Amino acid sequence: MRVLFFAQLKDATGCNAVDLAAASPLNTPQLWTELLQRFPALAAHRPNVRLARNWEYAAPDAIFADNDEVALLPPVSGG
Amino acid sequence: MEIEIQLTDRAIAETILPPGQPGAVGAWLEFRGVVRSEENGRTIRALEYEAYPEMAGREIRRLLQKISARHPCRAAKVIHRVGVIPAGETAIYVGVASPHRGEAIALLAEFMDRLKQDVPIWKRRAIADGARLCAEHQPQRPSNVQAAAAGSATTAALRSLDEARAEIRSRSRPLPAVRASLAEALGRVLRETICAPEDLPPVDRSTRDGYAIHADDASKTFSVVDTIHAADWKPRQLKTGEAVRVATGAALPCGALRVVMQEHIERDGDKLRVVRRENSTNVRLRGEEVRQGQPLVPAGTKLNAGALAILATVGNVNPLVSPRLRILHFTTGNEIVTPDQTPKPGQIRDSNSILIRGLLQNFPCDVEQGHLPENFEAAMLEIAARKPGIENADVLLVSGGASVGEKDFTRALLEQLGFEIVFSQINLRPGRPLIFGVNGPRVAFGLPGNPLSHFVCFHFAVAAALACLTGGEPPEFLRGQLGKKLDDKPCPRETLWPARWEWNAATPRLRPLAWASSGDITCLTAANALVRVPANCASLDDGAKVDFLPVAAMIGGG
Repeated sequence: MRVLFFAQLKDATGCNAVDLAAASPLNTPQLWTELLQRFPALAAHRPNVRLARNWEYAAPDAIFADNDEVALLPPVSGG
Repeated sequence: MEIEIQLTDRAIAETILPPGQPGAVGAWLEFRGVVRSEENGRTIRALEYEAYPEMAGREIRRLLQKISARHPCRAAKVIHRVGVIPAGETAIYVGVASPHRGEAIALLAEFMDRLKQDVPIWKRRAIADGARLCAEHQPQRPSNVQAAAAGSATTAALRSLDEARAEIRSRSRPLPAVRASLAEALGRVLRETICAPEDLPPVDRSTRDGYAIHADDASKTFSVVDTIHAADWKPRQLKTGEAVRVATGAALPCGALRVVMQEHIERDGDKLRVVRRENSTNVRLRGEEVRQGQPLVPAGTKLNAGALAILATVGNVNPLVSPRLRILHFTTGNEIVTPDQTPKPGQIRDSNSILIRGLLQNFPCDVEQGHLPENFEAAMLEIAARKPGIENADVLLVSGGASVGEKDFTRALLEQLGFEIVFSQINLRPGRPLIFGVNGPRVAFGLPGNPLSHFVCFHFAVAAALACLTGGEPPEFLRGQLGKKLDDKPCPRETLWPARWEWNAATPRLRPLAWASSGDITCLTAANALVRVPANCASLDDGAKVDFLPVAAMIGGG
C-alpha cells in the first residue's frame, strides 16, 4: 500500500511517501507497528496524527488493504 | 447546493462574481483569509502552504454539504491557495450565495471553523522578513555580481553588457516555489534538495541468476529450500548446507550471502553441487549506491529527464519547483502584418512573434501574444482588456515597432503600467535600445524591433531574467577559439556576433557568421553562439581566444 506523509511528517521521515508491502490487510495498530519499525521518528508524532484511507479520515477500526492510499495527517492549519 | 472548489498555486483574483444570473440570490457573502505579516511575534514575508489536494477537495465538499443541511444556501465557492503566499495576499476565499443573509453567514462561520479542524492543508513554514523570498531554496550568487549591481547609476546612463547583466540578475528575484507532479516538473528548477529516504538498494540483491548460500558456507552439496523471483520478498535465515534459487535482481532473504552463478553448479532435484566458486559474491549490497539521507539532487538543479527518474525512484512525486512562467508578449508598430499576409510597400511581416515563441520553448512557460496599436491610449486600452490580464504575467515583453518611435513609446507604456525603468540603453551592437523594467516581482523588457536584435537581447538579457525568476543560474559566457577570422570595422560599442560553434578536440571552435545589419536574420539558421567582440576592435584573427554565449537549443539541453 502507498503511505503518504504530509507537513512535518515529511521532515520526520525524510520522504513524501513510501510503499508498504503487507502480506495481509492491516488494522490501525498493525499499520503503526510497520511504520514505526521503518520510521522510529514518527513515534513522537503518533498522538497527534490522524490516518486517512483513500482520501477520507479513517475510522479507528479501519482495515488498510494493499491497494489503499493511506495518508498520515498531522494537525491541519489551513485557512 | 452548487459547489465549486479550487486549489491553486496562483494569486486569487481581486474580484470574483457570484454564480448564476445577476439578481438570482439575495445575499452573496464573501470572506478572504489573508496572510498576516506577523507569525509568532516575528515579522514575516510569506507563508508556505501545503495541501493533500485529492483529499482537501473532498473534505471541503463534504463539510459544505453537511453544514448546508442545517443552513440551506444556493451556492458556495471555495478557493484555497497553496505554495508560497506573500504577506498581505489571500490564502483562502469563500463565497456563499443564499436567498437571505442569515443562512449564508451561519454557513460561512461554521465552515471556516470546520476547515481549520479537518481539511488537510498546512502552513508549512514562515519565511522571515529580511530573508529573500524562498532564500532557503536559492542557489548562491557570486558576491561580485551583487556588488556590481549595488551601485545604481541613473537610468539615463548607458550600461555596459556586464552592468546590464548584473542588474538583470539582481532585480529578477526567484518567484515563489510550488509543488508540481513529476510529469509537470520537466525543465523547472528544483527549489529543495532531495535526499535519499532510504538506502538504495533497500536490501541486498542478487546480480546473477543462481543460488544464494551463506558467504562462508564451505559445504560441497546444498539443499534447495526456496525460490525467489525478482519481485518477491521472502526473508528467512539460511542454515549451513541450504541454498535458495534466486533470479537476477531478487531481494536476498538475509544478509551475509553470496550467489553462485547457475552455470557453476550441477543440480539434481532439490540437491545441488557447487562446481566452481568465484571471488565475487554477486551481491549488490544494501546502500551500495546511496545511503539514507544522502543528497541526490541539489536545490537549483534544472530538472532534466534523468533527474526526474531519480525523484521517481525515491518516490518524491511532488517536488518543490519553480512555477511555470506566465509571459505576455506584444508586438507594436503599424508596419507589421501577420506572416500569412502579403505586405504592401512599406509593410513587413511579423517574424518576432514566432521567434520569441520559439526561443521560449526552452523554458516551462505559458505564452500569450498580441499586437498593440500605435496610439498610446488605444494601446493601454488593449492591454487593460487582456484576459488573463497583465497582473497575472510574470514577464512582459514588448517588441518595438519602427513606426511608433519604439523607444519612447515602449518606455512610456512600461512606466504607465507601473514599471520602474532600470535601464533603457546598452553600449552594445546590436541591441542598443534595450529597456529593462521591474514592478514588484514582475519584469519587463522593451526589445528593439529588428529580429537580430531580438535574438541577441533574448539570449543575453531575457534568458538571464527568466533563469533568475525560476531560481536557477543564467547561462554564462564560455571561453572558445575562433576557427576563422572575424572581419569587422572598429565599433565604439561592444558587439555580440552571431557564430556557429562546434567541438574541436576539447575546445569550442567558433565560426563567425556574416550579418549585414540588425535586421539581417539570414544567419540565424546556423547561429548557436554569440561571440563577444570588444569595443574598438577591428578584427579578430583565426585562432584568437574569445568569450561566447551558447544559445538556442543548448540552453534547454541542461
